[in-house]
Parts: sequence; C-alpha cells; structure tokens
Amino acid sequence: MPTYDISEIEKLVDGKLPWSQVQEIMKEAKDTDRFDKWVEILQGRVAWKERILLPLGPNLFIVQKERERIVKCRCGHEFCDYRVNWKLESLIYVRETAEQLAEVYRGMEQPDPDWIHVREYYCPGCGSQLEVEAVPRGCPPDFDFLPDLDTFYAEWLGRPLPEKKDYTDKTLEVIRDWSRTT
Amino acid sequence: MSPTKATTAKAKTKAVTAKGKAAAARTRKPSRPAAVVKRAVAAKTKPKAAKPAVPLKQQLAMNDKLFKDTGHMFGLTKMKRKQADPGTYEAAWHILLNVCNTGWVVGCKVSSSPAAVEGGDAVWVLHLPTGEAVCTSRGIISHPGLLSQLIRSYIENDYEVNPGFRPGDIFENNDPHYGGLHSPDFQTTIPIFYRGELIGWASSVSHVMDAGMVLPGSIGFLNPDCFSDGVPITMERVGENDAHYPWYDRLMRSRTRQPEWVIGDARGRLAGCLTIRDRVIKMIEKCGVDFFKDVTREFIEDSRRYAVSRIKTQTVPGRIRKSNFKDLAMRGKRVIKPEQDVDIIFNEPMEIVISGSGKTRFSMRGASGWVPFGENITPKALISAMMNGFSHMVGFDMFNWGSAAAWELETPPPGSWGNPFPVNYFASSGVAWAPAVLWLGSLYESLGRLYWARGFIEEVAAGPGTTMCGEFAGVNQYGLYSVGMTLEQASNGVPARGMGDGENSAWSIYTPIADFGNAEVNELFYPIMYLGRNAWPDSGGYGKFRGGLGHTAVWLVKGTPGIEYMCACAGLRSKILSNHGMFGAYPKFPDRGGYASKTNVKELIDGQQPLVHAIGDPEHPDLVKNIKAEIMLPNEIAPFVSKALLHEYDVIVNPITGAEALGDPIERSPALVKGDLDNAWTRPRVAESIYGVVATYSEATREWTVDEAATDAKRAAIRAARKERGVPFKQWWQEERKKVLNKEQMAPPVLDMWRSSMQLSPDYGKELKQFWNLPDDFAF
Repeated sequence: MPTYDISEIEKLVDGKLPWSQVQEIMKEAKDTDRFDKWVEILQGRVAWKERILLPLGPNLFIVQKERERIVKCRCGHEFCDYRVNWKLESLIYVRETAEQLAEVYRGMEQPDPDWIHVREYYCPGCGSQLEVEAVPRGCPPDFDFLPDLDTFYAEWLGRPLPEKKDYTDKTLEVIRDWSRTT
Repeated sequence: MSPTKATTAKAKTKAVTAKGKAAAARTRKPSRPAAVVKRAVAAKTKPKAAKPAVPLKQQLAMNDKLFKDTGHMFGLTKMKRKQADPGTYEAAWHILLNVCNTGWVVGCKVSSSPAAVEGGDAVWVLHLPTGEAVCTSRGIISHPGLLSQLIRSYIENDYEVNPGFRPGDIFENNDPHYGGLHSPDFQTTIPIFYRGELIGWASSVSHVMDAGMVLPGSIGFLNPDCFSDGVPITMERVGENDAHYPWYDRLMRSRTRQPEWVIGDARGRLAGCLTIRDRVIKMIEKCGVDFFKDVTREFIEDSRRYAVSRIKTQTVPGRIRKSNFKDLAMRGKRVIKPEQDVDIIFNEPMEIVISGSGKTRFSMRGASGWVPFGENITPKALISAMMNGFSHMVGFDMFNWGSAAAWELETPPPGSWGNPFPVNYFASSGVAWAPAVLWLGSLYESLGRLYWARGFIEEVAAGPGTTMCGEFAGVNQYGLYSVGMTLEQASNGVPARGMGDGENSAWSIYTPIADFGNAEVNELFYPIMYLGRNAWPDSGGYGKFRGGLGHTAVWLVKGTPGIEYMCACAGLRSKILSNHGMFGAYPKFPDRGGYASKTNVKELIDGQQPLVHAIGDPEHPDLVKNIKAEIMLPNEIAPFVSKALLHEYDVIVNPITGAEALGDPIERSPALVKGDLDNAWTRPRVAESIYGVVATYSEATREWTVDEAATDAKRAAIRAARKERGVPFKQWWQEERKKVLNKEQMAPPVLDMWRSSMQLSPDYGKELKQFWNLPDDFAF
C-alpha cells in the first residue's frame, strides 16, 4: 500500500505535482492515511481553531464546535448543524430572467428561463460562490451530502467521535419552524 | 415457418453423424493437442445438444442463494486459486483480457460500419455459463451488464430446454424487453463448450447504423412506440455451425436501410466471439478446465470485493442527493404521431446511500413518467449503465459483473422513464441511453464530493459532457442510399478534477476509448466535407477548474442530390442546463445545432471569401455572419430533423460539448485564464466578467497580459456584488413558496413533470410539499 509524504499531498492539492506523478498516484492503490494528511493540510490553512471533522468542499467544512458539529466556511462564517442543509443559512441569488442569465449565458448559449433557473448560493461572510444549482421552479435545494459521521469515524477510521449524534436529516425541522412563523 | 424449425431436421442429421466423433472427444485427455480438441469440442463439430451436470436454471438459483447467504459471489468466502498461486491467477486474468481485446480487434476489423470500424463502437465479453460477465474487451463498456442479464434471460425463459444450447449456436437479441438497450445495439452470444460441457459464453454488442426504425438512423429519439423501434430480434437463435441462417441475411436486406453495414457488423460480432471461444478453449487445454472454472468465478468475486473496498477506502458513508433534469422540446417540430407535438422535461433524481458495510444503494425515486418518444429505458439497462459509471468512478481491477454485486439499484418507479413497461409495455427505447446517461452523470459529481471529503481530489470528476449526434440519411457521393453518423460525440472533454482542468476532447462517458474517428475517413463514408473541427471555447463550464472543452464540427454537404441531417439526442440538454454547478462553478451551456440551406458558399469559395469553421460569437454566429442562405437556422433547439433535404454547399454546425467545471470561477488562477485566452479557449468577456481576470492583448506579442492589481480589485468587487444582491435563504424561501403555490413562471412541461413525479413517487411528492409548506391536497 503506497504512502506519500504530506508535502507531496500538499503539492497535489495545490496543483503543483507534475501530471505524470498525479497519474502514478491515480493508478496506485489508495493511500490509507490520506484523510488525516488532507485534514492536517486544510486545518493549517484556516484561521480558526475548531477541529475539522469532514471537508465538504473547497470552502465548507463540518467542524466540532464545543459539543456541536456545525458547517463552517473557510472565512470563519458559521452556518448550522451539519444535519441541516447549510443552503438554508446562505445568501441566495436566482437568475430567472433572460437579462439575469445573460450575465453568464448569452445568445445561443442561453437556457430558457421558463424552464430552468440558476440559483447561486453565497457565503454571507466572504461572498464565495459555494454552489450553483440549475433547476426548474419547485425543486427543493439539494442536500448534497449528509454524512454518517459516527459510522465513518467509529467503523471506517476506527476512532469514534466523542459524542454520538443521530444520523438524520433535520432540514424539514427548520422548514416547519419557518412555516409556523410565516 | 420459424427459421429454427426449418433447420431442425438438418441439425439432427448432423448430430447423428457426429455422434461417434463427439463421444470420442468426451473421452480424450486434456493433454491432447489443442488443435485436435478444438476440432472435437468446439463449434466445428456437428451440433449436439449438451447439458451441464446441473441445469443452468438450478445453477442460477444456487448462485443467488449462495450470495444471499454468504455475501460472496458463488459463496466464495475463500479465494483458493488466488491464495494458492497469485501469479498464475493474475496471468490467467491477463490472458483472458487479451483474449477479449483480440476479439475486439478482430471483430471491429471484420465489421463494416464506420461506428465499429472507425470508432470501435462495440464490445466483446466472456461470461460464465449462467451469464455473469468474467472479462471484457475495450469498447462500449456500458453493455457487459446487459449481456450478462441477457444470458440470464435465456436461462430464466428455459432456453436450455427449448431450443437448447449447442456448440456452434448463435443467439441474438436487440429487444429491450429481454435485455437489450435499444434496437440498433445488436447483441450476439455464442455458447462455449468444452468436452460437451457448457463452460461459458462469448458475447458482443455493436451499434449498427440503421436498425430499420421508423426513420433512418440509429438514434431513434422520434420513435413513438416499440413498434417503430425497427427490426426485432427477440432472443433468437440466428445461426448454427458458426454461421448465420440464410434468413438472417435476407431479413437485414429487406428491413434495414444499410444492409451491407448491418450484415458486416453481424459478421464482425460473430468473428470476435469465435476468436474468444477458440482462444478460451486453447487456454483450457493448457491450464485445465477445473482451474478455468475456479478462476473465472474468483475473478468475479474479486471484482466485487475490490469495489466494496474502494468504497470504504475512498468515500464516506451517508446520503448523497443530486437533482438533474433533461429536456426534450418537440412542440412544433417534425414528429411522427400527434401526441409527440409536445415539450417534455424529465425529472432524473439520484440518491445514493452508502452504509457502514460499504454497500451502496442507488435510487431514482421521483423520476417522471414514460414518454411517447424513444427515450425510455429498462431497469436492466440502467444496471448496466451503472456498471459503466461505477467502473469510471470507483475504479476496477477486473471489470466484470462483480462490481454490480457491490451495489443495488432500487427498482425505479413503475411507469417512469426508467421503468416504463409495467405501465406501458409498448414504450419505445429507440435511444434508451439518452435519459439514462444524464442520470448516470450525477454519479460522477456525487462520488466526486465523497472523494473530496476523503482527500482523493485526483479522483474527483465534476460531471460529464452531453451527447448530441449528427446523423445523415440520403444518397451518398457514390450514388447509393446511405445512413449513419460520425462519432463526434465520442470525444467530450474530461470533467474537471479536484486539482486541475479536464483535458479537451479526450473522454466520453460511454466508452473509455474516446475516439471520434478521422475526418478524412468520415468524408469517405458520408457526402460531407469538414470545414472545421475546432475546440469550442468555454464549452467546459466556468469554475476554478474547468471541464475539458468539446469541439465544433462544421460540415459542408458535398456530392449528394440530397440528404437529411438529424441533430439527434443520445443524451443532451438544449433548453436547460445540467445541475452540475459543483462547489460554485457554472454548468456548461446547452446543446444547440444549426444549419444553412441553399447557400452562397460556392460563390464564397470561388471568391476565396471567409467560410465557417466554428460557431463564433454566440450572439452573432459565423454561420449568419459569413454566409447567405434561403434557410438560415443557426440556433436550433435540439434534437431535430432538418425540415427539408440538404444539398450541395449547404453547411451544418454540429457542436460537441465539453465536460463540467468545479469551484468558484473567481478562484481560478489568473495564469490559467491567461493560458485559455492565449489559446482562444476562453473569451475576453468571460475572462473579465465571470473569472474576474483583467487582461490586455498585445498585437505585437500575440499574448495576453494579466493586470494583477486590477484583477484583485475586480474579484473583490464581484464578491461585494454577490453579498449585495444575495438575499437570506429564508426570505427567498418565503417569496419562492408563493410563486410555487401560484405556479408562476412554470412552463407546462415543468408542471407536467412535477405532477408525474409526485404521482409515481408519493414519498418524493410528500417531501417536496413539506419543503415548500404546501397544502396536503396541492397538485401542480
């Protein structure tokens, strides 16, 4: 089983590893300590101290904040419990007219706004564009990934997290709260 | 009279005369020279029905039970051959891999159509007696799963008893009801016997250029029902003694429009299968039949174990959800039946649940209903498609049926486009792959998110390109009727990875050998001349890392009294975008085709004036700018069939998209943007307004120079503008809820889609209503 120095993984992350080397890594069996090195690299690149439990994307992480596990942006902005779709705590901008779409898609590259809208989800802290969805009206936002964190840490990594949480989607609980106040 | 019956008497006579030889063959020892044994036991012997010690139907039931009881294929809790002698085990695998690839080379060379000969659009497979694929050639690897299930269908339908399996038999199928994908994909299978025992099957699929569908060609998106899907071959014995029955040749001549190619491809499939059969028998002569039986089963279990372990090594358990949609806008276009004058959106949701054991479960709960076009697919074909996607994204050491045992597909909603027959047994599957491949596309981004979480960013793939085909039908430059397509679509860009751009025109979701063939060879096959085959700028989405670009084929119609152009759907979106805005990228733009008819191109050529070599400016395309024509259609919503025949000097613009991008575009390295500007792979407007890179062009150096300070300022301004225009989600949800409730700005196909999805999958509908806090009795 191959293993790579953390400096090599860091070069891979930054796109500085020659393509031939990347291909070798792709062909090889996967290095079993990659996750730890990956998290170590990412943890060293954020200004905050909460432990990263799982990277969700280039900007978002699930972190341990005291006894809670929340989604947090690279910039430090905190969203919500990781079992709630973080998009509910984002800023959203929707391109639903030809004029709005034309800022990105022009002429024969433009979709039909009566058929599809483009939703942009921004971080309220840094203005990063975190996700883009192209969906017809009526489509709930995708809850891209709800990880079973306790199973991952306990059974796959062999080191359980300190306090077990229910593995359940809590998004609709928030919606129900909103519905009561709407 | 049934062709099978017609030949029965002859076969019986041959079986009797062969009795002595066959009996002698059964008593021979394995050490006899391979050539002698081959003559005795392979198809060159006279046909004689032969049964395995345990009936195949019983073997199937045993296999299923063993898997259920032990979790291991064939109950193989131990891999005795692999453990005892891993070197020989590995060598045996590579011999079989080479055998299958040799089958591919021989088969493609014997074939006739440009798809097989020039594009290698075919595959050859070795199977166990019960159907499970053991080893696969290069080629269209979305099919081995279907071929496995086809052989299983023979057994489940008691073909072992009637008509029986004999050495030299050739069985064929193209019927989706029994394990076919769509009618142009002809599936050939031949049994492999050794000393009277059925020890496996060789199979092949190739995509013929015309299957006798209601309209010419092989991408039957316009087929309204299965009766229009062309010549049906429903699990039939189409030959014996290694030769097709005479009726097969006659049938293809009377019922397909390009019979020389269709028959040539049938011979190609058979030639590849015979190659596999004969070489497998040679291998058994060397290694012994018991070893062969053991390792072929272990290869499958090995593959299953590999897939499960890769899931556990590379992913994270949990639930992934990905919405995706596909359009088919046909209202007002040339269609076949009145009910096809309709616009459609397919709902194609994917949910993946990975459990702690590594078992992966896929669902398409919420899929919309079957459609009156050739864009319905069966669950069996979806399983095969998943094998293709799984091999790309999860990887494989040995590509075979084993990976399919590592996951399961929840039965798609009965009556949906992914499972039409329970509600409409006559639904068409003319190009069944079209909706399926876009659903499958979600697998790439979804697993990519998990690989990102684990740090395997080199394995991330943001999402595949789409598949728009250009087909021609008419009299060709040789004065003969011709129908077929080029393989431009087999060369999308590579999806963006977690640490870099995808390569241009280098990948296709449905075949690992992305090969769009040579332009010069295509010019020999069809009455066209290439005016351009150029990288399509910005066709790989906008993101920190972009997808590899696609290309634009521009064809000049040449040497024909008239041809039809079919801008065909084999999995495209034309009015909508894909939902692949992974990590903040913008999805690539929609597929559109265009053409100009009755043009002034001859005058332009005579006057040495500019022609058309690419799309050009999307708001002022080159087709309009450079050419005058009586019929000018530069931006047609695909798919479509040309309204009239195209003639000499007409021009077709047929673009092939790139793949999807990843990450916030304003985080793209300015150096990468400069590189794309220098190569004309991105446009100045995009560089500045979407990537936030301010750059100037020097005529002297013919290079772009990035203004770093201005770029920083521009990007800061873009961030600020986002925060300014973005609204808190809750506020948007409140307003959007009212619009959903009032069905504002929702085109009829959008409403039809939601209605159908919610009806076919009540749980999905309930959750949708809960999200928008809609009344229980709400309906779209």
